[in-house]
Amino acid sequence: MSGHDSKYFSTTKKGEIPELKEELNSQHRDKRKDAVKKVIAAMTVGKDVSSLFTDVVNCMQTENLELKKLVYLYLINYAKSQPDLAILAVNTFVKDSQDPNPLIRALAVRTMGCIRVDKITEYLCDPLQRCLKDDDPYVRKTAAVCVAKLYDINAELVEDRGFLESLKDLISDNNPMVVANAVAALAEIQEHSSRPIFEITSHTLSKLLTALNECTEWGQVFILDALSRYKAADAREAENIVERITPRLQHANCAVVLSAVKMILLQMELISSTDVVRNLCKKMAPPLVTLLSAEPEIQYVALRNINLIVQKRPTILAHEIKVFFCKYNDPIYVKMEKLEIMIKLASDRNIDQVLLEFKEYATEVDVDFVRRAVRAIGRCAIKLDRAAERCISVLLELIKIKVNYVVQEAIIVIKDIFRRYPNMYESIIATLCESLDTLDEPEAKASMIWIIGEYAERIDNADELLESFLESFPEEPPQVQLQLLTATVKLFLKKPTEGPQQMIQVVLNNATVETDNPDLRDRAYIYWRLLSTDPEAAKDVVLAEKPVISDDSNQLDPSLLDELLANIATLSSVYHKPPDAFVTRAKTASQRTEDDDYPDGNEKGYSANVGDGGASPSTSSSSVPYTAARQPSPAQVMPAPASPVPDLLCDLIGLDNNAIVPADQPAMPSGPPLPILLPASTGQGLQISAQLARQDGQIFYSLMFENNSQITLDGFMIQFNKNSFGLAAAGPLQFPPLAPGAAARTLLPMVLFQNMSPGPPSSLLQVAVKNNQQPVWYFNDKILLHVFFSEDGRMERTSFLEVRSLFHIALVYCGTKLSKPYIMKDHTAERSSSMSIWSVMFVTWRSLPDSNEILKEFPGIMVSSAETTMDRLAASNVFFIAKRKHANQDVLYFSAKIPRGIPFLIELTTVIGNPGVKCATKTPNPELAPLFFEAIETLLKI
Amino acid sequence: MISQFFVLSQRGDNIVFRDYLYKARLKRLVIVTTDRGEVAKGSAEIFFRKVKFWKEDGQEEAPPVFNVDGVNYFHVKVVGLLFVATTRVNVSPSLVLELLQRIARVIKDYLGVLSEDSLRKNFVLVYELLDEVIDFGYMQTTSTEVLKAYIFNEPIVVDAARLQPLGPAAIFMQGTKRMPGTAITKSVVANEPGGRKREEIFVDIIEKISVTFSSSGYILTSEIDGTIQMKSYLTGNPEIRLALNEDLSIGRGGESANDYRSSYGSGAVILDDCNFHESVRLDSFDMDRTLALVPPDGEFPVMNYRMTQEFKPPFHINCLIEEAGHLKAEVILKVRAEFPSNITANTVVLEMPLPKYTTRASFELEPGVTGQRTDFKGAIKKLEWDLEKFVGGVEHTLRAKLTFSQELHANITKEAGPVSMTFTIPMYNVSRLQVKYLQIAKKSSSYNPYRWVRYVTQANSYVARI
Repeated sequence: MSGHDSKYFSTTKKGEIPELKEELNSQHRDKRKDAVKKVIAAMTVGKDVSSLFTDVVNCMQTENLELKKLVYLYLINYAKSQPDLAILAVNTFVKDSQDPNPLIRALAVRTMGCIRVDKITEYLCDPLQRCLKDDDPYVRKTAAVCVAKLYDINAELVEDRGFLESLKDLISDNNPMVVANAVAALAEIQEHSSRPIFEITSHTLSKLLTALNECTEWGQVFILDALSRYKAADAREAENIVERITPRLQHANCAVVLSAVKMILLQMELISSTDVVRNLCKKMAPPLVTLLSAEPEIQYVALRNINLIVQKRPTILAHEIKVFFCKYNDPIYVKMEKLEIMIKLASDRNIDQVLLEFKEYATEVDVDFVRRAVRAIGRCAIKLDRAAERCISVLLELIKIKVNYVVQEAIIVIKDIFRRYPNMYESIIATLCESLDTLDEPEAKASMIWIIGEYAERIDNADELLESFLESFPEEPPQVQLQLLTATVKLFLKKPTEGPQQMIQVVLNNATVETDNPDLRDRAYIYWRLLSTDPEAAKDVVLAEKPVISDDSNQLDPSLLDELLANIATLSSVYHKPPDAFVTRAKTASQRTEDDDYPDGNEKGYSANVGDGGASPSTSSSSVPYTAARQPSPAQVMPAPASPVPDLLCDLIGLDNNAIVPADQPAMPSGPPLPILLPASTGQGLQISAQLARQDGQIFYSLMFENNSQITLDGFMIQFNKNSFGLAAAGPLQFPPLAPGAAARTLLPMVLFQNMSPGPPSSLLQVAVKNNQQPVWYFNDKILLHVFFSEDGRMERTSFLEVRSLFHIALVYCGTKLSKPYIMKDHTAERSSSMSIWSVMFVTWRSLPDSNEILKEFPGIMVSSAETTMDRLAASNVFFIAKRKHANQDVLYFSAKIPRGIPFLIELTTVIGNPGVKCATKTPNPELAPLFFEAIETLLKI
Repeated sequence: MISQFFVLSQRGDNIVFRDYLYKARLKRLVIVTTDRGEVAKGSAEIFFRKVKFWKEDGQEEAPPVFNVDGVNYFHVKVVGLLFVATTRVNVSPSLVLELLQRIARVIKDYLGVLSEDSLRKNFVLVYELLDEVIDFGYMQTTSTEVLKAYIFNEPIVVDAARLQPLGPAAIFMQGTKRMPGTAITKSVVANEPGGRKREEIFVDIIEKISVTFSSSGYILTSEIDGTIQMKSYLTGNPEIRLALNEDLSIGRGGESANDYRSSYGSGAVILDDCNFHESVRLDSFDMDRTLALVPPDGEFPVMNYRMTQEFKPPFHINCLIEEAGHLKAEVILKVRAEFPSNITANTVVLEMPLPKYTTRASFELEPGVTGQRTDFKGAIKKLEWDLEKFVGGVEHTLRAKLTFSQELHANITKEAGPVSMTFTIPMYNVSRLQVKYLQIAKKSSSYNPYRWVRYVTQANSYVARI
């Protein structure tokens, strides 16, 4: 071959296609090869060369592998658009799969699996069957992957032809490459199936452990990841596994090391001997540290994983803090992760070293890194009380450099330090006040104002300082306004002199009449009423002692941490989110539409930039709240109600006969009409109408059967498939034998949370009904959320003061330091145990950013009278809370609750008598919002 | 596993694109993006835009792994090219990132040079490689040796005039910042233009060192990341034995990185940790520190090691910055090479951030020196001092007079520094780890291939605080 490939991109003056056609049919092999290359080149730049299909396929029958591969490449690309012509290639494929050359056999099977044309798929089965038992391991390993390809095209075919069994046999193959691919293919298939297909028994375990030592590095990762699903029976088995895995820690491939670490960590959970555990920790430390010598990209992954590991087992790297010191040429994403781990490993023993590092980082050039370093110092102060003083002196030193963003960051963390160590370090307030006029960032400003208000009695000129901010009150961002309001009230309560009194009037006026911000206005009104009714109570509330905080920022919830640790060495451990928060998968065997290519469809999913919506000066935490990130988009969580999936319903009426209940008691056909779910035409004369209903606090399945057939039907049984709410029959279906022409009706009591289907909530309810005379009938119903609305969904009315004080506490917390609801819960439990969590949530949500709020408009619905709507909703356990007017609109607030204590707060905005209702809801479970809106829409429509 | 693999140029052009499908029912093949690249173009474009305009969590550089609309993107940068993979499932990120690095290495093995030009010229070969490396998104093999059996296209070597010089001297060419390519820009499969392949084997001991000096000149942290890298052009894959220092020991027992064993000077080389290529047999390693292997074709690390044992830093840096009157200051930067005078470091660069109000800097080098260059980067307020050569045992000094536009707030040392340094020192390694001998098992007495055992020390993070 002469020249280089790029010459194939050059175009000729006369018609290109006819010229290529001529060359493809040339007598000379070299010329044909060159021509195919030209075709491929044209294809890759986007020219349509599909018209040459027949000519290219004619070149397929050649012994020349180079040429054959090119033709196959062409085929993969165009077979789809020329399915009829693609059949022409089948013969060659089948022939090639029996070629004496194993490379050609493998190539044929590999390529056929990539051609997603139904007609070809059928022809693939026989060659595949042969190749799975081929003498050559290269062919077998290619065939193993081909089974996974085929499963993706036609799962049924794979199961019918027994390919799964062949694949499982390959686990015992004597070639480790084949074993690895068989494991990978099985894992892939399992990923897309809801049935257990690939289960690891102690028998497969020992086989895989043996193959582990011999296969390629990639195969080792496939095997280790598959093994991580194995649960050892006892500590002894766990120790044995670990012993076999430990040598993998020495591998040069970081993926192997991390997968081995994952395995060992999992097994360690079972090992009780502290010596063994200590020894394992010791063995894992050096390889983990060595990961930090890899490329920065790998370092990043390693650091994210180490971050999790040290939260669970801090001892592993307790003495290695130095390796996490930042190098000046580390990329920023590595530096940030190292900082996090340094904070986690900081202890009384090493804090001096660590502080020295942080101080150095705080004078570097990169602004974001500097800020993070300053925060890190503050967090160490909060974490280690014996080092707090040293940390603070470093912070003061940094403030003196007067670099604006350093000062602001320092003030933010010092506010937290004051909260952590009350009455210890307030002497530095004077120093802080010197920087007052340089503050221009809302968070820093808000923090400084909080400090002034909180310590007003110790700052001689506190009133002057606050007053200087008041002039610009209307222009300040909301978080600063909120702080100014609270600080002024505190000042007034502490120094009720003339100056502050005037100030408070200005502030209250600004924050009520002059503002459009409901949070600010509500808070101001609360203060106003408190101050005007009972100043002493106001003192109790506003100047209440605040609970001491701890450094929980960036600390994960233990259950989440455990889930993430089980997912070490996966994306989950890099994002610090559970897999279902960012992986969407359809576990169905049914055909999907052919061209749904990504990235489309998913609107949100997990996106790396879920903001933390910090309207309030948050804690030093910069991590994205987990709940917010977990919020899936409605479009994504609602799989379209599919036609019944056969293999799911097999177990519906299959083995589990105990659950199927005989129906023998009569019931009267009366009551409101029910939607027909199984028309008589489909049900061989049996018509089924049904709907979920709520009566007396109980959920029922209201059913009506009509027998339009010629025979008597009896022995009715009913079964519900797994569904999002775990709805199932609470007892037997009581149904009389149904004579021809008769109809009967019953209420079947239902229970919740029996057999819940995993994944995002769906309204789909699959039902199967059976009788002695007919085949099993399947139909789909829709779960309307409002049947779950419980009678206790009303917000409790508590005494005015309690609400007030709570409200205030919530505001203070949200506004100054802690925006985390659970801390509030703890605190309120101390203050007033009679308070319902409801009210707490209410105020919390009011003061939380609106990211938890979901909106939907119902343009076609009209509210003719607020009272009727309130009554109607109340009948379905949606309770009225409050009402206000906004311009010409009426705004109604409701609350509702579904089992497991999941609350919904609802805001309906409408112009009475005009069509169009805007519905907003706040709930901790936003994934239920689509179902919720459906329910509300139904209720409003009635 | 992975759904797509692509290589983008710095400008975001698609150079290579492969869809291993999943949701995408079609395998698509697009090299140069045009209007037919519809879907393929989609993810590559989304990726590129995201990386280029990354601004999240207060960072301006995209992390190597991120998620956009349910698609997970992985990328590594190799010689200015972006190697990218995508997936929708919860895979092992290190697996994918390793794979991307390996693909780059395999392609380089085949093409000799990894560049946009060489990829475009060899697109058929690259696709052939990719088909063998990944099947349906699953990694099959990345061993150049194994691949040779399945690859039939021959590489087209890029323009010889633009080839970097071959031979041992090439090591002194600066590679990328982190992975100094062993700089053999010769394909493992292509025959030399002259005909017969030259029998030769390269063993490179590459050490990247990180040292942080405190303002008073003490060593705060020091670390060596070492690799023994091999590239074999021997026919017939003979067995090789590599003998290392006999007194080499591994693991620092229960000691932590915080306290150094005062082993410095005792001669023993103590590694914190090491790992080996899968082709290495360690049968006699514990006995006589010998590694046995049949080197596969292509470039690969025989052994990676890490050391925090104290060592003598090759350069000592002394930096003095003082205010010298109103709105003025002086910097005196002294660097001394602490290695023997028969060794010469090259491409030495010192950098130092200056106070942000610095408006002018005038430099004064030693009288009569050549091959040195100084620069004040006004926009980023940084002093730069380049020295082409730095002979062992010698000390160089730079004086800089600074002028400020404003009064400084605090101590000037807080607003300047630290001094960072990069360098390459050929034929020198600080760990004292050595290849005592390199034995090639081959019967014939006339068989005497070229063996190149080369040492090089490079700065990773070499910093002096002030």
